[in-house]
Amino acid sequence: MSKKQIPEVDIVVDEKAGVIREVKQATRSKSGHERRVNTSIYIILVIMSIIWLAPFVFLVFQSFRSYKLESGGMVDYLLPKNGWSLDNYRFLFEGSNFFPWWGTTLLIAALCAAVLTLATVMIKRLGSENRHMKTLLTVLALVVGYGLFIALMVRLLGLAVSAEIAGKLVLSALLLLIAGYIVARFYLKQDSRLLRSIPGYEKEKTSDVVKKVIALFAEFAVIFAILACILKPMTASQYLNWYGNTLTVALFTAVIQTVIVLSVSYALSRLRFRGRKLIMNVVLVLGMFPGFLTMITLYFLLKQLGLTQSGAIPGMILIYCASSGMGYYISKGFFDTIPKSLDESARIDGATRFQVFLKIIMPLAKPIVIYTILMAFMAPWGDYVFASYIAFGSEPNFNVAVGLYRWVNVNDYQGYFTRFCAGGVLVALPITALFLALQKYYVEGVTGGAVKG
Amino acid sequence: MASVTLEHVKKIYDNNVVAVHDFNLEIKDKEFVVFVGPSGCGKSTTLRMIAGLEDISEGVLRIGDRVVNDVEPKDRDIAMVFQNYALYPHITVYENMAFSLRLRRMDNEEVHKRVVQAADILGITEYLGRKPKQLSGGQRQRVAIGRAIVRNPAVFLMDEPLSNLDAKLRNQMRAEIILLRKRVDTTFVYVTHDQTEAMTLGDRIVVMKDGYIQQVGTPQQVFDTPTNLFVAGFIGSPQMNFLKARLEKGANGYQVNVLGVQLPLNAEQNAALTERGVLSQDITLGVRPEHTSVLFEKTAGAIECEINVNEMMGSELHLHLSSQNGDRIIVRLPTVDLSAEQRSRLAYGNKMYITFPAKVMHLFDPKTEKNLIFG
Repeated sequence: MSKKQIPEVDIVVDEKAGVIREVKQATRSKSGHERRVNTSIYIILVIMSIIWLAPFVFLVFQSFRSYKLESGGMVDYLLPKNGWSLDNYRFLFEGSNFFPWWGTTLLIAALCAAVLTLATVMIKRLGSENRHMKTLLTVLALVVGYGLFIALMVRLLGLAVSAEIAGKLVLSALLLLIAGYIVARFYLKQDSRLLRSIPGYEKEKTSDVVKKVIALFAEFAVIFAILACILKPMTASQYLNWYGNTLTVALFTAVIQTVIVLSVSYALSRLRFRGRKLIMNVVLVLGMFPGFLTMITLYFLLKQLGLTQSGAIPGMILIYCASSGMGYYISKGFFDTIPKSLDESARIDGATRFQVFLKIIMPLAKPIVIYTILMAFMAPWGDYVFASYIAFGSEPNFNVAVGLYRWVNVNDYQGYFTRFCAGGVLVALPITALFLALQKYYVEGVTGGAVKG
Repeated sequence: MASVTLEHVKKIYDNNVVAVHDFNLEIKDKEFVVFVGPSGCGKSTTLRMIAGLEDISEGVLRIGDRVVNDVEPKDRDIAMVFQNYALYPHITVYENMAFSLRLRRMDNEEVHKRVVQAADILGITEYLGRKPKQLSGGQRQRVAIGRAIVRNPAVFLMDEPLSNLDAKLRNQMRAEIILLRKRVDTTFVYVTHDQTEAMTLGDRIVVMKDGYIQQVGTPQQVFDTPTNLFVAGFIGSPQMNFLKARLEKGANGYQVNVLGVQLPLNAEQNAALTERGVLSQDITLGVRPEHTSVLFEKTAGAIECEINVNEMMGSELHLHLSSQNGDRIIVRLPTVDLSAEQRSRLAYGNKMYITFPAKVMHLFDPKTEKNLIFG
């Protein structure tokens, strides 16, 4: 303080600068220390979290080591010595019609997508005075599009019609129906002809149309892959067979479980009925018992129904869907955040409870719907415990996890390890793709603007 | 276009709280009825019972000639505007308004015609392509009203539609609702806690408190002849002044002794009181701030007061006065006829004199809180 009173301006400035410099240094050194500590903690945390990925990286490397040229078993080196090879993957698809035909498949998918798009664009051109005609034509276009697709596919796969194939066809018809419904919703939307007169109305962009065509194309390609697994999986390695089983179980579980979970959550969130609190509490307590407790009982129950071994696939679907309503917590919590007045408003507007659920709540709850689907898909996709004892001994009805385990357990693991790795990589792919595609919905809040904001 | 009749309607919630007691009301076709009352008085519950969003515990509700106690909301032919707008956030304004029509499987052209027409009435044509979150509060409220009018409902229900808007916008929308009412010309039931809205909008006002109807009448009736202390205090702004007083029955009729002043009643009041057989008793005297005469000089029969607060509102002054025994009285004084000299005297601590003309005095029984003449 005393130095400040020195009359010369220069000195005061100097002194001040000195003081300021000192202060700056103090803060810098302190924050520098903190920053160093923080950085090292972050680095440790990051390493700790990604260290679990290291085995997976090794696994991916191993899957590219040829089992013919090098050892198919475990080795003490990481990268393949004789160069990268796809031998293991080739083994998985050996004897399948799917692999040689994939190029043709994509062509057919593109053709069908183009035909369907063209047809719907033409139909859209018709005025709304031909409403029934339009609906009819759209349905016709869908039938022709999908019919063409499935016919070509059956022809290419060289299927002979038998009882078994017929059963699987019914199964795939169900899948197609679901996919077809989604596509129909997609294309049967109100035509925008009337809306164009309104200022500010966003016209459909060309990029949106392109996106729709790509989506349609992708849908056909995916359906083909699924059906190829389900319909004609008999490969030498049985891998595609197992993959198909897993896919079937996971898809059906995802659909059924999502429907059940969302309905239960909506009911518990919106309806007030006697015993509601009781049900919620009982479910909470029941959920604390591990599901494995019921294993033995479940096996005997399924055995009585003929749903083990050769009937393992419907059996597994049944088990995974059985108590799915108990997982209502998260989606109920989400539904609770959607204002109730939206329901009430829609009901006064003339919607039934179901229409409210479908037209108001579902679009608003998109993130939670997708979350539910993903979770419902994930559980059977990676399950080993239930799948292993329900399908016990019946190799064609294994799922991927059980089948791959048998390769390294029963078969000699020294020969099958790299093929096991390749199978594991292929199992990881769809889940990875799903998560990458859908992750934005986890963070997207959509209720904004519903009420005052 | 329908009447709404409520007969002995009662609402008991699951936790045995009675929200509405014995509600009886007949709303005529094309009438605009306003339910008004403080929060928790059961006005919204009653409206929601009419809408079908709450079950009716007891009693009968008719829309037109039809008993609708157990009819789903969608089949009651009503439309409702919510306080928080309740717009569907995932679809455009156009689709919001078309939603109910589409559910009725109406033809596209007809839907378009109705939506554009409604948007035109409300001046929201340029926002039809937007999503609700891209709109301001006032625009959202218009959309909510538009969504209701496209359907041509028999009964139009509004649950505090303006209370989320700011003061200026609220006044503007209030005027628009009056205009809208002329255009759509159907039965309106409107819930508000704001007595100004109730007075300006309603053909009839239903004043409610704690689940009971306090008074039903035109705005003028409710203002002029409140049946009890609650209605008297609730309707009118600033609030009516209440003073402790005594009613004396003398040879020449009744007179009110208040703050050491004797105020005679007029012939009409005398006749009514005599007819009712009212004896000398303690009363609560109610006088509205705008009905009080203010004198600057001491006069016989005037009450002496001291100025506490002087609120300048522009066209008028609100004077907060306190009498000698501490009663607080608010007085409204138009500024236009005040001279500069008079204005200078309206300062803190100065003496003022007030008097009440007989016809503006409301006499209430302090025990039953009822109006001695109209109650």
